[in-house]
Amino acid sequence: MLDSFLFILILGPFIAAALCYIVRIPHIRSLVVLTTGCLLAVTSVLLFLNGPFSHTPPPILGVPTHWWVLWADDVLLLTMLYYGFKRRHLFSKILVIFQIVCLDYFELFMVDHDKVFPPFVADNLSLVMVLVISIVGSLICVFAIPYMNKHEAHQKLEKSRQPLFFTFLVVIIGAMNGLVLSNNIIFMYMFFEVTTLGSFMLISHDQTETALRNSVRALWMNCLAGAAFIVAMIWAYITQNTVDAQKLIAAGHMGGIMLTPLALLCFAGMVKAAQLPFQSWLLGAMVAPTPTSALLHSSTMVKAGVYIALRFAPGYAGTFLSQCLTACGAFTFLAASAMAVSQSNGKKVLAYSTIGNLGLIFACAGINTPEAITAAILLIIFHAFSKALLFLCVGDIEQHIGSRDIEVMRGLYARMPRTALIAVLGIVTMMLPPFGVLLSKWMAIEAASKHLFVIVLLAVGSALMVVYWSRWAGVLLSAPYEPRVEPEQQDVLTRLPLLVLAGGAVVLGLCAPFLYSELVVPFLPAPPFTIQAGIFENPTGAFVLYPIILVLALGFVCAVYAAGRARRARFSGPYLSGAQTADTESFEGPMRKPVAVSSGIYCFESIFGEERLTVWFNICGGILLALLIGGAV
Amino acid sequence: MRGVILVIIGVVAAPLLGGLIAGVDRRLTAWFQSRYGPPVWQPFFDVAKLFAKERLLVNTWQVFCAYIYITAAMLSVVLFFLQSDLLLILFVQAVGAIFLVIGAFSTTSPFSQVGANRELIQILTYEPLIVLVFVGIYLATGSFKISEVYSHTSPLLKSLPLLYIVLCYALTIKLRKSPFDFSTSHHAHQELVKGFLTEYSGPYLALVEIGHWYEVVLILGLCSLFWATSWTGIIVLVGLTYLCEILIDNVMARMTWRWMLGSVWTMGLSMSFVNLIWLHGG
Amino acid sequence: MDYLKVFITKSRIKSPWLLHFDCGSCNGCDIEVLACLTPVYDIERFGIINVGNPKHADLFLVTGTVNHRNKKVLANLVAQMPDPKVVVALGSCGLTGGVFREAYNVIGGVDKVVPVDVYVPGCPPKPEAIIDGVVTGLEKFARKKDDRP
Ligand code: SF4
Repeated sequence: MLDSFLFILILGPFIAAALCYIVRIPHIRSLVVLTTGCLLAVTSVLLFLNGPFSHTPPPILGVPTHWWVLWADDVLLLTMLYYGFKRRHLFSKILVIFQIVCLDYFELFMVDHDKVFPPFVADNLSLVMVLVISIVGSLICVFAIPYMNKHEAHQKLEKSRQPLFFTFLVVIIGAMNGLVLSNNIIFMYMFFEVTTLGSFMLISHDQTETALRNSVRALWMNCLAGAAFIVAMIWAYITQNTVDAQKLIAAGHMGGIMLTPLALLCFAGMVKAAQLPFQSWLLGAMVAPTPTSALLHSSTMVKAGVYIALRFAPGYAGTFLSQCLTACGAFTFLAASAMAVSQSNGKKVLAYSTIGNLGLIFACAGINTPEAITAAILLIIFHAFSKALLFLCVGDIEQHIGSRDIEVMRGLYARMPRTALIAVLGIVTMMLPPFGVLLSKWMAIEAASKHLFVIVLLAVGSALMVVYWSRWAGVLLSAPYEPRVEPEQQDVLTRLPLLVLAGGAVVLGLCAPFLYSELVVPFLPAPPFTIQAGIFENPTGAFVLYPIILVLALGFVCAVYAAGRARRARFSGPYLSGAQTADTESFEGPMRKPVAVSSGIYCFESIFGEERLTVWFNICGGILLALLIGGAV
Repeated sequence: MRGVILVIIGVVAAPLLGGLIAGVDRRLTAWFQSRYGPPVWQPFFDVAKLFAKERLLVNTWQVFCAYIYITAAMLSVVLFFLQSDLLLILFVQAVGAIFLVIGAFSTTSPFSQVGANRELIQILTYEPLIVLVFVGIYLATGSFKISEVYSHTSPLLKSLPLLYIVLCYALTIKLRKSPFDFSTSHHAHQELVKGFLTEYSGPYLALVEIGHWYEVVLILGLCSLFWATSWTGIIVLVGLTYLCEILIDNVMARMTWRWMLGSVWTMGLSMSFVNLIWLHGG
Repeated sequence: MDYLKVFITKSRIKSPWLLHFDCGSCNGCDIEVLACLTPVYDIERFGIINVGNPKHADLFLVTGTVNHRNKKVLANLVAQMPDPKVVVALGSCGLTGGVFREAYNVIGGVDKVVPVDVYVPGCPPKPEAIIDGVVTGLEKFARKKDDRP
């Protein structure tokens, strides 16, 4: 049973990817993607119901799995090297060659492959990750089918590049599943590299000059992470004589010697998750088609980084490394939120917000109390749904109005009421109670209250976050009254993922107590909260979830009813000092000519401007990171 | 049973108290300016009149947002009376504040757009400060729950003097008093027509006004936590604080948002940091 | 329900928010209007607040003559006031066009464009007269018990 589950979850996507690449008939490709998506979602649920396990897969075609992994690794690294040469980028070439040499020497001459331990182990953290990756990832792949058709129609390509796109899109899901289920860190490393190559290919997909430049940046940064990973692996093997992740975590407590590899692993995770000062690769990745951004840079791939930090969190609990990680994460949270405030490009706001939230998760991993870990895991779940939803909304909006700028989205409700409302819902689930992201943020703040420096960063960061979210939501709705707004036409495969994700973001938030007790508690040594009638409680605080849901829902119903009744009110244009013309959205200017009314959102360029801040934030981020690694050595 | 009574107090008595405070405020302000001033019941007349006015709208989102605002404001006060978690109360209060801003953004009026942007800056300014005040309370009492504050034996003001000043900054912003009243301002002064409240009118403006009373009660309630050991302490502390607010309102000019963000964050964050370090050390 | 109606009528009388529009006045009348807000006359005693927004106003105080350029503005402002509302024309100019009535661009008094409830004569009217005019206007609220449309 487990064999087939793992086969479907990890190798299934690779097979589907191969099919996508070989069979060049659009309809069959769509069918393959759809089927894979459904299969993955169902299997992930079954795997979850099956519970935690540790498992040794049988040899494939008579060859033990670790040989396959080695070969796969070599192929991967050689491909990267090829691209390093093709794009003439010295630094990535050096990094890749370094990895090849280290890996082959390590695998062939150092590792004792006869030691038996299960290469696949799943506890609740892994299972939750598999659920998120498979469900959200599949929805994004489904959304990509109509999206890419329109995208290519817009680009007027001679030869469709879709096969390659879907190949890597699907591969990423398999790799992510593999990564979170691996217990052998060599396996983990291999899957880590697959995500690097995948993101490189997907970012460069459009082949424009910026796309190529940004993809190379993503490549060398992620290769740096890979190099750190491999050094960590070898170092850990030298000190502990094992590549079994469970043993390494347990060894963390032993003392200082294990800390360096753990620090390097965290470093790899932080680069993967685009923490400061490595945020530029994720920002550059926004040139890719939107499904890429949604899949790689919000819900799944960047989560690989935080997964690694969380996975090894028990190993460095209570150390200086842990404190540094908290500081780095919290600082990234603040910095990313500040820079997001200065952006009016919707996708960039989403990117910065992703970086910020990942920072928060790192901070939680660093705080390393059961409360903080709960916050981190819940945040991974809720953030994945809400953020994927928002990315897909922006993608859909961009295809309709031809821009991803928030200013251009002004009054979108009048043009695309469905998408606009879903986007507003997504925004609300990102920042307000009673929804999940805020619940996790509450846990995070309560857990961080003893760390003075961190709590100040978190407090300021969350306030900044409120600014960029709420003005976006407001601008989307900013339209004059129309008795009837005509809903826009949408492809079924576009609407379905949007609706499922929106439903997921809302319902999961409401099921938070259930998620907590079923998904998170089994993973923790001691449950940090008691739950009674939907109230999260512990000695430091209480989140009365269900009562406030009840009252706010009641208020919501009243508000909808009142808004409906208000249709009978008198409508007039906005106040324009009495000079408005008949159409109410313009005023009579000089020479009796109508002047259209316009207003913009404040971007605070002079305070939070990206150019101004990036340098300083990168310097601070770099210092903190140096502290993290140096302190551990 | 006690819970039910507290809920009723929260829902019914809080706005009455808030309205009365607004009335007294106007009376005192008039007194400071050697005027006679309106009757103390004036805010209630205002609201009753607004409720009976014609409904005049730009779009229906305003209505939706006004209702959510008052729900959230009411809920936050009720949670306060039920002695719930401080951070939770802040977050619920934020729901209202943010929906009010979204409602202002949803109209196409440039005045309310500018007001909404400025209101966001105000939220940005006071939110971190209030979080830090709560962290201070947590460090002093060991819990974020208000019930724990009440069981604390010595007044919090003794261990959190600087954080009380920080809370007063937030109070000034929340009460829309000079020098921090640039998103919209309290009674007779105007700011860019009426800032982000420009397009709320009639019954919906009345709802916003009542919501504001709830918020005033909430934030004065937070002030009262600093001397929660005796009733005299609460009354003296809150009374003095409010008097100071009115005085500040009358002697200060309206400043720009840059000045507010800069000065309040510098002063507020450093004072909170110092106070938190005292707590941590002592 | 009767109590409620009585209370609302009383509230309307006790809380008239005022919008002041300078419709081409020489500023004489405006200064007198502003004088009403000073501590000497203190119209806030009557619950009157000077608002800058027709959407919040109950009382519309117009000073000055109406001309072809500003007649639209005048009409627009009145249209953006929610009912019930009272329009008070101030000064000789507001009443008839005053000394400017012969000018080529002047239409005349405020009532040429919007219906006026109270006329306060004077050039300019004294603050006492203005307050008296406003208070007379308030009687309209008492008269029309409930004119919510
Ligand atoms: S009535 Fe007299 S004071 Fe008033 S605007 Fe006309 S000329 Fe000026």
